[in-house]
Amino acid sequence: MTLAIEIEDYSWQYLNTPKPALNHINLQVEEGTFLGVIGPNGSGKTSLAYSIDGLIPGQYNGIKHGQVKVFGKEVEAYDRGQLQRIVGVVFSDPEAQFTAMTVEDELVFGMENLGMSIPEIRERLEWVTELTGVGHLLLKPPYEISGGQKQRVALAAVLAMTPQVLILDEPTSMLDPVSRRRVFDVLARLKSEQRNTIIVIEHSLENLVPLASRMLMLSDGELTLEGETREFFQNMDLLVAQGIHPPGAMRFYYELKKSGQYPGSLPITLPEASQELKGLVARTRQP
Amino acid sequence: MNKTLLGYVPTRSPIYAIHPFVKLFFMLIVSLFPMFVAAPEWNMALMLAILLLMWISRVDVRTLRIYVPVAISMGSIIVISYIIMGGNHPEFQLITRFLGIKIYWERIRDAVVVYFRILPMIFTMVFFLTTSRERDLIVAMRSVRVPFVVTYVFAMALRSAGMVIEDFQIVRQAEQARGFDTTGKSLGYRIRKYVMYMIPLFALSLRRAEEFTNALVARGYAFTGEASRVKRADYVLTHYSFKYYDAIFTALIGLTFIVLLILRYGFGYFSIERSWLLNWLKDVLT
Repeated sequence: MTLAIEIEDYSWQYLNTPKPALNHINLQVEEGTFLGVIGPNGSGKTSLAYSIDGLIPGQYNGIKHGQVKVFGKEVEAYDRGQLQRIVGVVFSDPEAQFTAMTVEDELVFGMENLGMSIPEIRERLEWVTELTGVGHLLLKPPYEISGGQKQRVALAAVLAMTPQVLILDEPTSMLDPVSRRRVFDVLARLKSEQRNTIIVIEHSLENLVPLASRMLMLSDGELTLEGETREFFQNMDLLVAQGIHPPGAMRFYYELKKSGQYPGSLPITLPEASQELKGLVARTRQP
Repeated sequence: MNKTLLGYVPTRSPIYAIHPFVKLFFMLIVSLFPMFVAAPEWNMALMLAILLLMWISRVDVRTLRIYVPVAISMGSIIVISYIIMGGNHPEFQLITRFLGIKIYWERIRDAVVVYFRILPMIFTMVFFLTTSRERDLIVAMRSVRVPFVVTYVFAMALRSAGMVIEDFQIVRQAEQARGFDTTGKSLGYRIRKYVMYMIPLFALSLRRAEEFTNALVARGYAFTGEASRVKRADYVLTHYSFKYYDAIFTALIGLTFIVLLILRYGFGYFSIERSWLLNWLKDVLT
């Protein structure tokens, strides 16, 4: 399997700050992985995303140690503008990333930067508007639509560039539950239909956990936990100690396990939890 | 309704059939007409023609009501500067004295001429802005091969104006929520305390600039290097085609301007001397 991202003993400290935003990070992400990144505010999640996209050190001043490689090549070795053709980032504030006057212009801006032809742009535009459901918004100014629509437009604008690695930095932090669901529906379709490597930084785990194949937790700039999703959530004590609030069903089983009433591994999705509950009930009814 | 730069135009309007370049050309050339026309009746006729175009384009003409205070203020300034504070001119024809101020016919005439030169210029601009969206401006400029960077910076300048106003509202509301409010205070106090809004607004603008730069870089836009030399396809232009009637309108606008110049400088039309309205006004006042 090809490694999409390799991070080796990487540290980054912004200029005039007392301590590193990221400290001795080691991480390998295989191509096609859906990686969920969690951690408290100020733990370095956004800095990690920016480091993979080359915004760090390109746009920021600071001290860098170690290496961040994307498809085997150090991010700084890419020509200006080339890395962003491979790695796409959706920022947490959708409005901050709009660069055009209409939704349609917003969606085609990145494709024009890539030097795509008109028929290619038209084809991808059709695909991405169908995928994200923003077709009816094309002629509207992006800053006059609802929060959920804005985030889907921001996602569509990045997807249209078909990056091999897609990073979403708290894409649903400003959205209501319905809009959150719609963003994750798009990601679910993307996961099943494409082979992109997707990295989602997110506080709301209800939607993230069923999709993520791997999870990673940052804390105070350090990678404190990383692993396959199911295995990751068995370390519930550590997660709770870091202020992470796993989905309700998972916490329910964790409490049962702590009190010795549940011996198995923690279910990570609602259907799994429901299935486990049926099993538990059936076992308790047995004479 | 489709939102335009200065209001709304119904979804169905004949104006959409016109290429944005023609609208921009109309605005740039027709707004020059009053510079060469001194006779107010012709400038009034131009205003009527523009009103007619607005009506044909189904623009809500009530939009113009917001310009009434502007027109009155502008008229007052012209009256004060030309007629009341016009100075002492023994060579001019004195009509009357009002509170010791000498009122000359020539100063009244000049005030009328200037006022009716400015009004049609504003009408032309309003017509353009009420029938055009930001995108039309960009398309108009790109269709005459204005470089992408120039049109892009122009578009972003348009957008940032709106963003600064939004940010100002946010800062003001945040400060009001914490008890700082200049409502009802004297003008002097408000001016002194304005810095309380300006500092956070400046900080917000810096953050916006950083976010915007990140967004451009993340979207593969490069100012230097190999990526900046990519040949861009202008997708937005594919929605617009310059039709035969656009060419006719462009030619008509250009020709009208040439005819106007010939009539003005070749035959003396549109001059003060040939203005029946000014002659009538002179008869009435003197």
